[in-house]
Amino acid sequence: MATYLLRRLLLGCVTLTAITCIVYALARNMPGNPLSAQMGEDPSRKITAEDYARMQRAYGLDKSWPEGYLQWAGNLLRGDLGRSITRKQPVTTLIGERIGPTLLVSGSAFVLIWLAAVPLGLYASARSGSIDERATSLLLYALYSFPTFVAALFLQVLFAVWLRGTAWELPLFGMSDLPADASLGPRILDVARHMILPVTCQTYVSLAYDSRFIKATMEEAIRQDYVRTARAKGAGPWQVLFRHAFRNTLIPLVTLLGLSLPALIGGSIIIEQIFTWPGMGRLFFESIRERDYPTIMGLTLMFSVLTLVGQLLADVLYCLVDPRVNVA
Amino acid sequence: MMQRSHGFWVEAWRRYRRRPLAMAALAFVALLVLVATFAPAIAGTKPVLCRYKGQYYAPCLGYFDRHFEPAIFTKDKFRGTYPRNLAEKDPGSWAIWPLFFQDPYRSVRADEWPGRPENPAMDQGRPSWTNPFGTDQAGVDVLAKMVHGTTVALLVGFVSMGIAGTIGIIVGAIGGYFGGWVDMLTSRLTEIVMCVPTLVLILAILAIIEKPTIWHTMAIIGMTGWTGIARLTRGEFLRLKGSEYVMAARAVGAGPARIMLRHILPNALAPILVPITFGIASAILTESGLSFLGFGPPPPSASWGSILNGARSNLGMWWLVLFPGTAIFLTVLAYNLIGEGLQEATDPRLREARK
Repeated sequence: MATYLLRRLLLGCVTLTAITCIVYALARNMPGNPLSAQMGEDPSRKITAEDYARMQRAYGLDKSWPEGYLQWAGNLLRGDLGRSITRKQPVTTLIGERIGPTLLVSGSAFVLIWLAAVPLGLYASARSGSIDERATSLLLYALYSFPTFVAALFLQVLFAVWLRGTAWELPLFGMSDLPADASLGPRILDVARHMILPVTCQTYVSLAYDSRFIKATMEEAIRQDYVRTARAKGAGPWQVLFRHAFRNTLIPLVTLLGLSLPALIGGSIIIEQIFTWPGMGRLFFESIRERDYPTIMGLTLMFSVLTLVGQLLADVLYCLVDPRVNVA
Repeated sequence: MMQRSHGFWVEAWRRYRRRPLAMAALAFVALLVLVATFAPAIAGTKPVLCRYKGQYYAPCLGYFDRHFEPAIFTKDKFRGTYPRNLAEKDPGSWAIWPLFFQDPYRSVRADEWPGRPENPAMDQGRPSWTNPFGTDQAGVDVLAKMVHGTTVALLVGFVSMGIAGTIGIIVGAIGGYFGGWVDMLTSRLTEIVMCVPTLVLILAILAIIEKPTIWHTMAIIGMTGWTGIARLTRGEFLRLKGSEYVMAARAVGAGPARIMLRHILPNALAPILVPITFGIASAILTESGLSFLGFGPPPPSASWGSILNGARSNLGMWWLVLFPGTAIFLTVLAYNLIGEGLQEATDPRLREARK
């Protein structure tokens, strides 16, 4: 196990170097730089050519991208992710600010998904073939194909335009309308109201996917010999389902859990963009638009580390859940 | 006499046909292909066929490519408005018009077609008899835009998944067949592409290209979407390379390229086709998502997602959400259903379960 982990870790480092190198090259080759992107937005910020050259030097933008990359990587090894050029803050501070709102939405969505997907999947496999099961499955399938941004727009039209002025009206954008000094109770309520639409959008697709996944793995398990044995020795249908079949579907479920890690912390770019939710996905989108290289790199690094750790976690958990599997 | 058994694909088609939803999905995609092919004849302001100054012309071809529009109409200063100009400049002319007189790229002016009012602009264009799906802020008819946008939706799916399928199959096949350090390299490559957030990769590459067109978008979606296919192909090749018929082929002296292409690939194709079909659905989602965020192809390419983008600034214009949103949803659903049908029809494990 130890050698396996070490091997994976080393391979992961190679992969990470390649990823960050590619993304840095891409980012630096996008037309414009953080200074010109800022000036494009605000003409009053025009500066003289000397000042421009001086600022370029100060931010290290006068170097070629391989040099810049080496510098970034060197700082990283010293534990320094750098400072955002456009926001004048350390990248770690920025990420720290944005990770809370993202976790709030994706964490709630995550809990909702698993609370609903497991019973739904079990129900679908227990009543497999019946009319109500087929109707539910079809509905879930349709939901799975429903694009999130279309759903987000539909929900916005429904709750912000058609239900305007009623008790059902929900806020469209942002995380809170109240000033920062409002008392805690109303603020929590306000944030919760702002959360409803983004959480709904993030929940429904995964709910549909996961419950279908659970049903598929359950159907696979039900066909196994040990289930037939359990039935033959007189176990009731629910007991067969829970004690014998469902336990064995935990293995693929664990893999799915590991693979959903990056989305959980990274957030969704499109959903956060539509609802202007101040989270990680939106920060990523903005930093690309602002050509804010340090932030782009910090977020890329985080996403890739999460993806790699998620995969590793899935494989390791796999061994823990299923003693038959040996990683080495 | 022995009855000749049906081939694998004939069997698969027979099983596929038994699934009504999968068949309906296939019919829907066929309908989209028809709409995309005949888009200029369905909605447009240029005659499908006309006789002008003693010659026959088909100006509607100009919707496919500007250069296909006959030069004589530019010379005679038609400026894109045909009905009145045809009558004024050659009283003996006649024309066959598209089914629906609306233009996907511009607003139709008052009396351009006798008795037809001007398209409403800004947020006034709610659905009406002249504009069944309403008009956008610039007064352009949404139905005409959607009819012409069908081409983009279909092409995005086929072209980007064609690219992704080719890359994925090649990378996966090479890694799975040769194994060892080759597999190590291809697996790392797959992992690298998988770890970078796709949307970020696409946005960055789109920014670097000077004049991105819809073809660039398709190519980038294809170049970032092959990882799943590669992993699956690798698995299939790993499984099949030890089988007896591969050994037999090697024994009679077939080279690796021949073994991979002629012997293993045909047997691995069915499971690979399934993620490709699902990939078409997700490519359409990605493209419309990009257009929705404002990173779509520049006009005049009409993409369904870019119509949605217009609704973001004014949510009161619900028709800009409802019609293109439903179109994207139905298309994605259709491809997912086809993929599901294909899976059930070709996967022997699922087949046995049905018995």
